Amino acid sequence: MFLIITMILLIIAMFVTIIRMIIGPTVWDRLLALNLISAKTILLLAIYGVYRNNILLLDISISYGIIGFIGIMLLSMFIQRGGRLK
Amino acid sequence: MIYKGLLILSWIYIIFGLIGIFRFNNMYVRLLTSSKIDTVATITILIALIVKSGINDLSLRLLLIMIFIMITNPVNNHIICRSAYLNGIRIKGEIDK
Repeated sequence: MFLIITMILLIIAMFVTIIRMIIGPTVWDRLLALNLISAKTILLLAIYGVYRNNILLLDISISYGIIGFIGIMLLSMFIQRGGRLK
Repeated sequence: MIYKGLLILSWIYIIFGLIGIFRFNNMYVRLLTSSKIDTVATITILIALIVKSGINDLSLRLLLIMIFIMITNPVNNHIICRSAYLNGIRIKGEIDK
């Protein structure tokens, strides 16, 4: 029961972060919101994995964490170079 | 029983994380709240799940996720902060060189 409430709270937190992503004046606010959403997705997957007692979901959340990390690194490098992929 | 208390604690962290995003006007302070509070919320929830699931390979993976996020989340925020600073967002009160 507690896990369901945590999942619902995480989903609400994601929607609020999406609002911050839309409002965010600078590009880096959007990157920040993206980072938050990916961290919350990992949490959501882990909680759902424990809730359903399904071990595969935890592997998915680890790989999602790795891909999220690399994605944000590349995005910020791309932005830092002023939108050139050189 | 213990994991319920930890989960309640993590709810408070998540709510503070949300308030922290909207309350601060300066971009860097928002980065600070997101990196700190979000990592702590992740650690609390994952410890609660480890306590709930006891000693089996499920909790081993949870431990792995926790260690991974503890390392990468601050690094992520550092990368964003660095690219913001180098591209010209001045921290308030900093004397322009």
